[in-house]
Amino acid sequence: MSAIEALYIFDEHNNLILNHTYIGRPPPPSTLLPLYLQHASPRPSLIYLPTTNPPTLLYSMIQDNLLFFSPLSSDTEPLLVLEFLHRVADALEEFLGSPLLASKITANYDVVAQVIAEIADGGVPCQGEANALRDVVETGPGVLNNLLGKVGLPGGSAPGLQGGPSGRLHTPPLRPAETAQGSAVPWRRSNVRHTSNELYVDLVETLSVTLAPSGRPLSAFAYGSIAFTSKVSGVPDLLLSLSTGGKGGGMGNRGDQLRSVIERVVFHPCVRLNRWNSDGVLSFVPPDGRFALCGYEVDLLGPDAPLTAGKTAANNLNLPAMVEITTGLGSSGSDFEVRMTQPSSSSSRAGSAAAASLQSNLGSGSRPGSFRAGSGGGESKGSALENLTVRVPLPAGVRNISDMRPSKGEAHWNPADGSVEWKVPSKDFGPAGVVLRCTVQGPLSDADEAGGMLNGVTATTYDYTDDEPATYQSQHDSDSTAGGTNGAQDNSRTRAQKNRALMPTSTTLSFSIKGWLASGLKVESLLVDTKKSRGLGPEVKPYKGVKYLTVSRDGIEVRC
Amino acid sequence: MESISRISSMLETARDLTLEAARDAGPRKTTRPLPALQIKKLLDSRNEREVLDGLRRVIAMQYAIPPQPTLTFFAAVLKTLSNPYPSTRPLVYNYLIHHAEADPDTALLSINTIQKSLSDSNPRVRAMALKTMAGIRVPVISQIVSLAIKKGVSDLSPVVRKAAALACVKCVRLDPTTRPQVEEYITTLLTDKQYYVVGAAVQAFMELCPERLDLVHPAYRKLCRMIADMDEWGQLAVLRLLTGYARQCFPRRTKRSKRTQTREEKAKDFYEELEPQEASEAEYEEVDLMDPDLELFLKSVQPLLHSRNSAVIVAAVRAFLYLSPTNYLHQAIGPLVALLRSPQDVQQVALYDIVQVCLISPSLFVPYIRHFLIRSTEAPQIWRLKFEVLTLIFPHCSKDIQDLLLAELEHFSQGHNAPLVRESVRAIGRCAQASNAITSRRCLSLLLKQIHSRDQNLVGEAIEVVRHLIQRSPDAHRKTVVRLARNLDTLTSPTARASIVWLVGEFAGYDANNNIAADVLRILVRGYADEEDEVRAQIVLLAAKVYLHFLNARNPKQKAIEALDGPKKYETEDAQIMSPAEEDGEGFREHAFNSLTPTEQPEQVSEKSHPIELLYQHTMLLARYTPSYDLRDRARLFRALLSVPSSTELASLLLLAPKPVPQAPSPSESRKNFALGSASLVVGTEAAGLAGLKGYEGIPNWVEEGREPNARLREEDVGRAEYVPASERAVVGVSAGQKLDEALLADGEVRKGKTLDDWLDEEDGETDGEESDEGSGGEEESDGDTEEEESDYESESEEDEKAGLVR
Repeated sequence: MSAIEALYIFDEHNNLILNHTYIGRPPPPSTLLPLYLQHASPRPSLIYLPTTNPPTLLYSMIQDNLLFFSPLSSDTEPLLVLEFLHRVADALEEFLGSPLLASKITANYDVVAQVIAEIADGGVPCQGEANALRDVVETGPGVLNNLLGKVGLPGGSAPGLQGGPSGRLHTPPLRPAETAQGSAVPWRRSNVRHTSNELYVDLVETLSVTLAPSGRPLSAFAYGSIAFTSKVSGVPDLLLSLSTGGKGGGMGNRGDQLRSVIERVVFHPCVRLNRWNSDGVLSFVPPDGRFALCGYEVDLLGPDAPLTAGKTAANNLNLPAMVEITTGLGSSGSDFEVRMTQPSSSSSRAGSAAAASLQSNLGSGSRPGSFRAGSGGGESKGSALENLTVRVPLPAGVRNISDMRPSKGEAHWNPADGSVEWKVPSKDFGPAGVVLRCTVQGPLSDADEAGGMLNGVTATTYDYTDDEPATYQSQHDSDSTAGGTNGAQDNSRTRAQKNRALMPTSTTLSFSIKGWLASGLKVESLLVDTKKSRGLGPEVKPYKGVKYLTVSRDGIEVRC
Repeated sequence: MESISRISSMLETARDLTLEAARDAGPRKTTRPLPALQIKKLLDSRNEREVLDGLRRVIAMQYAIPPQPTLTFFAAVLKTLSNPYPSTRPLVYNYLIHHAEADPDTALLSINTIQKSLSDSNPRVRAMALKTMAGIRVPVISQIVSLAIKKGVSDLSPVVRKAAALACVKCVRLDPTTRPQVEEYITTLLTDKQYYVVGAAVQAFMELCPERLDLVHPAYRKLCRMIADMDEWGQLAVLRLLTGYARQCFPRRTKRSKRTQTREEKAKDFYEELEPQEASEAEYEEVDLMDPDLELFLKSVQPLLHSRNSAVIVAAVRAFLYLSPTNYLHQAIGPLVALLRSPQDVQQVALYDIVQVCLISPSLFVPYIRHFLIRSTEAPQIWRLKFEVLTLIFPHCSKDIQDLLLAELEHFSQGHNAPLVRESVRAIGRCAQASNAITSRRCLSLLLKQIHSRDQNLVGEAIEVVRHLIQRSPDAHRKTVVRLARNLDTLTSPTARASIVWLVGEFAGYDANNNIAADVLRILVRGYADEEDEVRAQIVLLAAKVYLHFLNARNPKQKAIEALDGPKKYETEDAQIMSPAEEDGEGFREHAFNSLTPTEQPEQVSEKSHPIELLYQHTMLLARYTPSYDLRDRARLFRALLSVPSSTELASLLLLAPKPVPQAPSPSESRKNFALGSASLVVGTEAAGLAGLKGYEGIPNWVEEGREPNARLREEDVGRAEYVPASERAVVGVSAGQKLDEALLADGEVRKGKTLDDWLDEEDGETDGEESDEGSGGEEESDGDTEEEESDYESESEEDEKAGLVR
């Protein structure tokens, strides 16, 4: 049984905005929502609700602040349902524009109704490709022309229709129901026509790096996605080659090199796996518009790096910014210090190389003016690095941060989630580094002092000696036991100990940097295979653009 | 793979642009609601735009929250079906499906018009009509629907055939008596040449009659070949179908053969120096002898590991795991681990699946250990499962990695997040359990370090785990108990103290001349009043045990003395010891005794009793005045048990019974029986019960040798095979892209039917359809509202088609 029973969508205030039932009589959204909200956030994506009638498996997903629900009464593959919800979100976004807003849904119920009815027929998911839905969903004359019309709909998008009645009814601009044959390519809508032909490749990498207190990286991954935007008429056949930028050398041909760097690749169904496996190139007929072509991951420590070798320092990762944290400073050990630096070795690398390659490789047919915003931002690294933010989560015992002294930028203590957030404008972030020093304040009453004496056994000492303390690596706990009796005298020491419990144990660094990829991956070329393509004149030279972006969203974690 | 919308949210500039665009577009029309009359007027209009506007308003009302009544428009909406404008159709159909149940009679009025559309020249119109007709939930029309499906099954256009396949599900839901006919249709559709028709057919099959495996035999090989090209949902259905099919149709044959190094072992070799004896003992292994048909399936599943759909990847892993773990599973681990980079909701569920595979073959995950390192920003559901994976892999890692993992766990055990601390300490405990003595000792010392922490949670948890470890090999840990007992001075956590006291009691019997138990009791009793109930209970228990050991040690001596001195002396002593116990035991008489005993006892006790006896009696007295009735009850029990010092057999049986070694199984051990990729696996046994949730289907058992269906059933009949070029049959997993290549090559005049693949054939039909459709567009208009003309609509549309062809 894999039939979807219903789809509910809530807006950011948990108000129901869409209620569509495919089959059966699932519990209404009004019963499900409170049961869902009972769970502590972050809420599990699959919740079993035995109390509803019928007992329900509630799948949920949040996208663009909208909450998607799908209740099911019987055991299904959970990932199927979740993927379905993601596809629904993608399809709605394709039709309504990104980001998905509650107001857009409520204003376009007719389109939404068709999309969700087409994506699952009688509850059986049957169409996962948003672009192909274009052939069957009736957006009608004048609908959303501003958002979609420019995507080269035949017959002109007729903005006049939006205003008042006009006489052009004989040729409605879009008649999807009439485009009779299904597109030859299941994921591409038929009859694509664009006046300006454009191709954009966006490589986005998300960093996930964990550093040990010593600064040694424990794990360092870059999770990459290639977002592709194709606005080309007809049925283009494209060939995208990537190069590794020198990594993975000595691994045989280029395909092997590439595959040794980017691992565990997943593809959009349009990619020909054979070509990837044999030549390491992406050959595909794209859907129209924007889609995720490929996902991969790169182990920045190198695929075969021994996990525990002590030599690899964080510097080898070439990150554009690094953060260190020192705790237990000050006379009573109540201070901690966060230092953000620019590893020297990275500056040369992350520079203009990416931007240059973009020009050289793809610049042939380019019109400089039409570069997408931001893609040229790679000239100097300083300007490309953005949104530098350090977050220091603090234990629940911290009552307040009495003192925050950032050398640059703004620091902000957020009592709600118990963390210090420190934003540094990229212009202030130089090679010298920046420092933030904070003083924490613990709970008001010194209840612990009394607690130590609670058992009344504190005065006694057992004199059984441990014959072989060497058996255990920790010898020091025998001396610290002795400290229990005369602890009262050593006041500052206990205070420092107490403050140690208030010190953060880790800190995370977020940033985004344009024009640079952590993996060093580059787009080598993007070719339109004119022989295989159809409906594209040989004289047409699509404009091509490449954009690189590396993002760390709390992705660099330093422990202490 | 991240969905495109999530990727684009990272490319902020792009997002800003769209935001602007959205603002420019604005609300596309005034959402001001119109009165019903005016909407009706719009619907009745002959102007397409107005009709469309009216329909939109009706649909918006239908979806509005709270929904507004739209049933009144039923007749008006249906009337618009007679309009020639195709753009209104989808909305009308949508309305119809939504309201048919509420007003079946009116809905029936539309059937004729829809039936007419079933013969439309445009395949999309036909498909939509078929889809709508099957969606109308009025049981009366089930036979008509069934006929319509029959017609759709033999339609030229694959779009219609796909709609027919999906309509089968709705038809049976509408009227179960149509099932026999529908199963016939599905049989036909399963052997379709177009992969997305087959995908939909398998989906319908799985919905309707997953047990009819006899229908699958002739299509089996074709399904295997087509699976790579289907859409994700079709792939999921086929994977589910064929995994069950393979279990029931291919008996498991194994033979013992000399072991060849699988990749798994190579990895193992690489990461941990295999002990030589293990290699020799595992020299021979059972090798799956695979049916070529099964191999075909597994081979054709391999490309699916590159799917962007996490469900497909898990389903592929499921096929490998349950069909041939030794030969194929290792390839699937990487893609499975890669699911960790998906959005959080998918990640959570995927981790359950990862844990499930990890329980079965943990060593495969060793190379991926870095993916499972916990990050402080993660949600509890995720780190909990990651801890589990780490502890499962732990015994299979090399020493370096074990060190690293222990350091990791130690780091998190010193954090501030109480549940995280608890989980990491437990994880250390599980690591210790699963590994050899040296590592186990390392874990123990790690835990012992924690007991001086100021964090009560941590100390309590750590001591609990230490207790478990000590119980597993008590002899090796006598010294540890002493060390722990020393910490009673400073420890404040009641759980920890109780655990230690219990341990001391357990060890009270060892090495009688040099035992600390009595002394610990002496010290603890002094502070009895200040302890928590939990600790008091353990103190009382300790007293009972110490006293019992004392008695057990004394009794043989006593007997010896008795044998020498004669019975008399023994009796007196017996009475002395018994009297205080008796006094305590019979509480309701205590006033009577109280007046007597104080005068008598002190001198007796002080003169004769051993300190342990005194301690015991003192403890019992303390217990007797403890507010907790549970504790008083216990004390009474102990007193009764130990009331006769000479007979301690029963007490020994109760108090000194050897304790079973505590096992802390991996938390997911209980769900191990659920099939990979099921919701029951995620929900767990506590909620789902042992049998799983409603609708849960496990993986069937392997069919017994000799009971499997004949392999020749899977032979494809020659007639059909002709259509598929031999070259293509050999290649597994031809991608759609390849087909397109071929099609493009063959485009134009190169159309020599034989070498073209099926896809092209269909395209031919469709192109014709499109042309004719354009022709018919104009003519239909002249037909006007032709509900009465339906008798000859068929011939008319034929004419249309001809007209189209001529053009």
